[in-house]
Amino acid sequence: MELREIVILALKFSLVMIPFALVPLMILMERRGAAYIQDRPGPGRAAIQIGGLRLRAFGMIHNLTDGVKLFFKESFVPPFANKWFYILAPAIPVITAVLTPALIPWFGPFSFLSANTGKPISVVGPFLDANAGVLALFALGSLSVYGVVLGSWASRSKYALLGGMRASAMMISYEVSMGLSVLGLFLIVGSFSLTEVVAWQTTHTWGIFVQPVGFLLFLTSMFAETNRNPFDVAEGESEIVAGFHTEYSGVKFALYFMGEYCHIVIASALIATLYLGGYDLLPFDLSFDRRITWLPAGPYDARFIAAHLGGMLAFVLGATALLAFAFNLLVGRRSRNYGRMAASDKAARLREYGFFRVLSLLAGLGLAAGAVAAYLLIKTAPVQGQIYPLSISLAVAAVQIGVVLAKTLFFCWLFVWVRWTLPRFRYDQIMALGWKVMLNIALVNLLVTAVIAKLVMK
Amino acid sequence: MAKVVPRPELTFWERIYFVEIFKGLATTLGHAVKTVTRPDTLPILMYPEVQPDIPRDYRARHRLMKRPDGSPRCVACYMCSTACPARCISIVAEESPDRHIEKRPAKFEIDLLLCVFCGFCVEACPCDAIRMDTRKAILAADSRRVFVIDKEQLMDWDPKDYPASDTQSQKAPGGSLHTQALADFRAGSDH
Repeated sequence: MELREIVILALKFSLVMIPFALVPLMILMERRGAAYIQDRPGPGRAAIQIGGLRLRAFGMIHNLTDGVKLFFKESFVPPFANKWFYILAPAIPVITAVLTPALIPWFGPFSFLSANTGKPISVVGPFLDANAGVLALFALGSLSVYGVVLGSWASRSKYALLGGMRASAMMISYEVSMGLSVLGLFLIVGSFSLTEVVAWQTTHTWGIFVQPVGFLLFLTSMFAETNRNPFDVAEGESEIVAGFHTEYSGVKFALYFMGEYCHIVIASALIATLYLGGYDLLPFDLSFDRRITWLPAGPYDARFIAAHLGGMLAFVLGATALLAFAFNLLVGRRSRNYGRMAASDKAARLREYGFFRVLSLLAGLGLAAGAVAAYLLIKTAPVQGQIYPLSISLAVAAVQIGVVLAKTLFFCWLFVWVRWTLPRFRYDQIMALGWKVMLNIALVNLLVTAVIAKLVMK
Repeated sequence: MAKVVPRPELTFWERIYFVEIFKGLATTLGHAVKTVTRPDTLPILMYPEVQPDIPRDYRARHRLMKRPDGSPRCVACYMCSTACPARCISIVAEESPDRHIEKRPAKFEIDLLLCVFCGFCVEACPCDAIRMDTRKAILAADSRRVFVIDKEQLMDWDPKDYPASDTQSQKAPGGSLHTQALADFRAGSDH
């Protein structure tokens, strides 16, 4: 193995940690999202004092304090619990959360020329490119319910057991319609490999346009699979205390919590990969319409990104610069609003707002300058043949990772958004929806897809 | 008598959930966007940094009234601490240097965490020395000790924060009637 190949493998391994890296962001998004939807400003008390500056860091400090609190709490095992299973159970969701991202293609396949032999070495998107990648992913994802059931059983608490039974019953009902809803897509693509699915979407169109019904069914099943509202009957705090984690506290509770949020990130990445084209830029080749002259002809795959690398980077940096300027504007509004109040901590708060205004202004200007520089300076000529220099391939992969992450984050927000919009379903309503409605729609969808696929695609 | 509450008949679009879900999502997103872009419209109070705007006769944190020379008007008679149902007032009396006055408080402490803000102390006071008109309704701190306020804190108030029609407080230092009250006091009139 060549050194560069090993380095690329290590970088790919770091991508497996993406869900873990996104957990603090998810918690912040949950808190802020809840607050904003409920007309509140959200977390903003925990702060770090640096000199004369009191930094609250958008509420990120709350994550830190939560972590400190949970990790330094006594690791308590109830005397009536089954000790070993009680300790083992919270690890299962975390283990599945570490394993599943290895199967998701975070970027498109590329190859580079070996320095020793001169032969091309190919690199694939996922850490493990399994033929039946999706099946392995579903199998591992469904394992996380074992953590819930085992933990609830080992707690030997009636409320916990009720939560665990609910979770397992719901998992059984919704796994069926989940599997059937994606089958339509695999029927069209003709492969269970996630890289194949994304490659098909790059050359044709996104899965959501081919399988709209399947997309809605899969999305709903994913809400059930991750135990999120409106399907969070496993916790059901208004009915069964806290459900399966009633007896859990401290670091073991934190593990459940982390596993749950990792599961949400992975589910979002999976939805983005299966139905929103994964690392694909745009769903259609827009060059068929001659009026759209500013957009070059597709398909918008790795070669397109490589040929317009400067423009792509300029677009990404420019969009980030716009976000920084918008942030500056909003912080300014908050600052003025706070200035009108007779608050006791006005000076400290205004100083912090001023700090963030200056910081975001500088960041925005820097990013804008970078965008202009990238547009003017980075010119990549179209390379004959398939193999690009490694630097360009890596830049393309970085852009593609950014595209997947953007889509993933949108679905993460959707999970939060739906949680604070819908009330929890009653348990019998969930069962009725799963078995009497979704299963039937999934079966009909599969049948119609099969017939159309047979007629159209030969 | 039992009353039959009919369940509303759902239309087709309501029964397939999705349309209603998207309507709900639009509503919540509207709230989120408004919160992000228009922080001034939020129906919130920045607790505990901002005090709410409450009327003067709201029973809020106590204050001790002052004589024209700035000493407390309290004569350490223990009427307030006797009337207090929560037993949150603790007074230590000492001899007053003024020959007209028998006692004065050496220590006057109110534990605000015990206080039930009933206002009995104000009613019990024979010389109008304690009042609850500071409009400080939000009391927040990191430590319990902070909530035990002493004589200095109780007397730390500015006459400018109180209405001009309040003649009692205007006789205090800084008030409009201060000079005249001081002259009366020096002339030896009864006060």
